[in-house]
Amino acid sequence: MVGGSWALRRGLFAAIVVPMLVVAACTSSQPAGPGAQASGVPVAGGTVTIPIVADPTLNPWSPNAFVESLFVNRILFDGLTKPGKDLAPAPDLAATWTTSADGLSWTFKLREGVKWSDGTPFSADDVAFTFNDIVLKPDLGAQNRGNFSAVKSVTAVDATTVRFDLSRKFSALTAYLAYNSGIVPKHVLSADPLKTNSFNKGVPVSTGPFRVEKYTSGQSVSLVRNENYFGAKPYLDKVVFTVVPDANTQIAQALSGDISIMILDDKAAVARVKSASNLAVVSRPLVQYYWLALNQTDPRFTDVRVRQAFVQAIDRQAIIKSVELGYGSIANSAITPALKAYFDPSLSSRYPYDPQKAKDLLAAAGWTPGADGVLTKDGKPFRFTMDVGQKGVLEPVNALIQQDLKKVGVAADLNTMEWNSYIQKVVVQRDYTATVNWWTYPSDPDVFPYYAASAAGKGFNIPGYKDPKLDDLLIQGQGASDLAARQAVYKQLQSYMADTLPYLFLWYPEEVDVLSSSLQGVPELGLRDAMHYVGEWWLAKK
Amino acid sequence: MAGALVVLFVSALTFFFVNLAPGGPSSVMRFDVTAEQRATLIRNMGLDRPVPERYVAWLSGAVRGDLGTSLLTDEPVAARIGDRLPNTLLLVGTALGLSLLLGIPIGVVQALRRNSWLDHVLTFVTAIGLSVPVFWLGIVLILVFAVTLHVLPSAGVVSVGRESIGDRLAHLVLPCVVLASTILPTIVRYTRSAMIEVLTQDFIRTATAKGLAPRIVVYVHALRNALIPVTSAVGALVPRLLGGTVVTEAVFGWPGMGRLALDAANGRDYPLIVGIAVVVAAIAVLSSLVVDLLCVRLDPRVRLS
Repeated sequence: MVGGSWALRRGLFAAIVVPMLVVAACTSSQPAGPGAQASGVPVAGGTVTIPIVADPTLNPWSPNAFVESLFVNRILFDGLTKPGKDLAPAPDLAATWTTSADGLSWTFKLREGVKWSDGTPFSADDVAFTFNDIVLKPDLGAQNRGNFSAVKSVTAVDATTVRFDLSRKFSALTAYLAYNSGIVPKHVLSADPLKTNSFNKGVPVSTGPFRVEKYTSGQSVSLVRNENYFGAKPYLDKVVFTVVPDANTQIAQALSGDISIMILDDKAAVARVKSASNLAVVSRPLVQYYWLALNQTDPRFTDVRVRQAFVQAIDRQAIIKSVELGYGSIANSAITPALKAYFDPSLSSRYPYDPQKAKDLLAAAGWTPGADGVLTKDGKPFRFTMDVGQKGVLEPVNALIQQDLKKVGVAADLNTMEWNSYIQKVVVQRDYTATVNWWTYPSDPDVFPYYAASAAGKGFNIPGYKDPKLDDLLIQGQGASDLAARQAVYKQLQSYMADTLPYLFLWYPEEVDVLSSSLQGVPELGLRDAMHYVGEWWLAKK
Repeated sequence: MAGALVVLFVSALTFFFVNLAPGGPSSVMRFDVTAEQRATLIRNMGLDRPVPERYVAWLSGAVRGDLGTSLLTDEPVAARIGDRLPNTLLLVGTALGLSLLLGIPIGVVQALRRNSWLDHVLTFVTAIGLSVPVFWLGIVLILVFAVTLHVLPSAGVVSVGRESIGDRLAHLVLPCVVLASTILPTIVRYTRSAMIEVLTQDFIRTATAKGLAPRIVVYVHALRNALIPVTSAVGALVPRLLGGTVVTEAVFGWPGMGRLALDAANGRDYPLIVGIAVVVAAIAVLSSLVVDLLCVRLDPRVRLS
């Protein structure tokens, strides 16, 4: 019901509201922003306002810290590492690290003199507490604990040294530590690490460049400079997160100057926002890819020729053009272009749109033309249901795929569901035949959890694809310690994925961000990753 | 007594239906949670126990004023509702007041000038009012008054860091107008038809024949009687207003019960959904009680037995 009205609202928005946005933008009395002065000298002062859709939970490990919480938590809680501006792991609370010869023990040297926002000294005990007493405790069900399944225990060697002992090689550890893995204070959370409301929904003790000044439920969370911060003093006086659930209202607020920076989820509004003189529009790479999962318990989809036929039957460029307005590129593996050191661009032309080739492959797989234009094999038509979750661009994408498959004689019926029910059916019960969705993952090519045979049917391996050679490459990648060795393994992995199509890779989306033209110093990263660098943001004086 | 039974019935019905609905709390129904984590979270939330057992546990807490703990925030349900309820009551109260203040005079004018051009124009305008979607009107008003004219704030209840009474009132204007638009046409129509009916009755003709001033006839004799059906209608409009807050509060980022209800439903926050249903049912029961009492005052023929 709620979802249905949303679909209607999106349509209505495009039809009615967008043209009015143009008018509003053109008649806006805002003075022209100094967008051209991007390379000016940073000045201190000012407040940046960022919209979020719901009240955040200010604890990175709480199972209730949803996507809106990421924005705030990435400012408040430093991890041992953070994503560098090239997305490779960079030092944060850890200054340096070394690995033992067998790769099973990592030692992190912590930054000296770090204090919590309440003045208490930060130490290795906080790191050990965060992992041993929260992440590795099975009965807490901490968020992202699955990312650290290789970690056996964490030991505080001395006040500024911690050691991670692993059960298997895991060269992506520092990348995963940079991903929503903020260290939380032992002296505040030891009694109840995940459900201390004065912390999660109030004023937490943190290490980042800003600290919480005030949390007003349903309205806003305002942050001020953390005077105890170990790094350079931030330029901004304040960062305010306002709770604005409606996407159209967010756009209107950006136009009226009430919002400084936001992600524009509805790309239909891009051209309109671009015409506003007080706003700049930028696109950013994401560590994300859309896929079509074909359930491997269905024998029709275990034939690689069928999967290759599908991927060539689907006009992916047309999908990127129509639903992403061109903000994206064709995907043929799980490693995204944002991971520059590993991405293999030569694969992008692996499967051009070719319905005839798709028909030939399906014929080779034993599918013959049936009476009503639907292919048949053993007397049964090639017909199945695709479950569609109501979120983002999924509905129009499924409709386009349905049309493309019909052209090669495959009948896909669409079953559209409200998001929460969809997750239960597709992810929890794995009761589906085909479905489209996306993965966002830590900035590292180690995609083991999404492809390993051991995760088929229960973990993140949604299609339930099992392939010993793929497993072998994934494990080789986890064992390769230096960059050159990793690059070699992951190049092989990408090529093998493109050949075998465990998931049908669709496209790598780009994020569109809208920002006030006076806002400077925001790195060229997705907005959620740019939160790690909010200390470098500044506002040009008008 | 009957009211308490209604509330009890609503709580039981809601409790069982929301637990029958597909899906589960957002912390469990997300892609990036493993099966092992999911089982742990379900157990920690007590959702592995049978629904009747959970309802009995909830009810025994509820009668002592404990509505349970929100699954999405771990805060007490009563505190979350208590936090949001005043904002919604303020919004609903002002919207209702505005609708009555505008709707009744408009209805009276239409009844007096029946079939005049003014009547037709106002009927046309109220018909538009009934058919305009709330979110659309909300966005249009934001674009006009906040983006283009810069005279009113676009969303929220206060400007962070610039709180004042005037600022709060400015934030109230647009959501209040939008919410009022959902019931104003109904009030106008009820007033118009009630007035027309009353004006044709014998006692009005008698009053006019007695030589009373037309103003007294209309405003004392006719309006007082016409207000009886209007008052009953308003009683039925209060639940509709509360429903209208869901969309209005989402568009204007207004931190009230409507938005809370939407978040609770999307996130399958079972205790919060039930808590909100109970509070809304109690408000509906109370408002119908108030309406009954008002009708008694307005209509001398109705007496409390």
